[in-house]
Amino acid sequence: MPSNAKNSLLVVVRHSPYGSSVARSSLEVALAAAAFEQPVGLLFVGDGVLQLIPDQEPSGIGVRNIAKLIQSLPLYDIETLYADEQALQRYGLDPQTLPQQLLPLNTAAIQALFSNYDHILSF
Amino acid sequence: MLPTSAFDGEGFLVRLSDWAPPVAEQIAAGEGIAMTDAHWEVVNILRQYYLDFDSTPAMRALVKYCAQKLGPGKGNSIYLLTLFPGSPAKLASKIAGLPKPDNCL
Amino acid sequence: MILHTLNRAPDSAAFRDCLRFLTADDALLLLGDGIYAALKDSSSSEELAVTGASLYVLEADASAAGIVNLLGNDVTLVDFAKFVELTEHFPRQQAWH
Repeated sequence: MPSNAKNSLLVVVRHSPYGSSVARSSLEVALAAAAFEQPVGLLFVGDGVLQLIPDQEPSGIGVRNIAKLIQSLPLYDIETLYADEQALQRYGLDPQTLPQQLLPLNTAAIQALFSNYDHILSF
Repeated sequence: MLPTSAFDGEGFLVRLSDWAPPVAEQIAAGEGIAMTDAHWEVVNILRQYYLDFDSTPAMRALVKYCAQKLGPGKGNSIYLLTLFPGSPAKLASKIAGLPKPDNCL
Repeated sequence: MILHTLNRAPDSAAFRDCLRFLTADDALLLLGDGIYAALKDSSSSEELAVTGASLYVLEADASAAGIVNLLGNDVTLVDFAKFVELTEHFPRQQAWH
């Protein structure tokens, strides 16, 4: 966690991957900020954790693959993905089956995370 | 030669499936670039990137991906700028027939 | 004998309302974000099981989301043709959205 980083940005994503175009937009904002070498954190909250499910195959519904885009995040030096532990449990998702750079956080840890970034962008 | 209708206003290929090596040569020529093996190596890497991640990389990601796939000597912005002057991610993506980089502002 | 459809995630008011009115004679077809209600270890799938309603999930949406192998055993995947068959079989349809 970049506790003293200047202009660090936490992008909070709360939407499912294909229910709307919001999921892709939120990731693209994170990538754009990272492309400008800003420290970026990504926090998946609530329905947002559904973006982390692997083996997505959206060609049948004619949109691009969110899971693949998430796999490219390390190339933008977005190394750690934070996830809402409570939402993972509610959906019965096992963190072991999700991307390996995932860090599940409880409510108190998420509250602390909010304070650790200079800016928060909410989707 | 593909007709101009196969390209958008900025010269990006409209349909990914229209791409073939001669099309790459055509796009490159239009940008004043004569394709060498070194150019092809990067263009092929970009097409692989698109398959892996369903997106077109910004410069930062392209540099890192090239470093992973081709080694540090080629995974740096100076090398890529030499091959594709100006805006390497954008230019090489165009030649590779990919959509314009999503976060190329 | 009602065919219910739900296209909202299990956190939604649409899911809550749907759950209240499902009976064992009914079928529930999950589509869009509704599909996540059938994730096998989720609290929502337990709540749906209690109703006794037959559960169907639209395959195109489950494949997109990567959850085909994460669905409970009591769930039937349907394609668009089967979806149409369901609407023919059930005289009335209630959409929760």
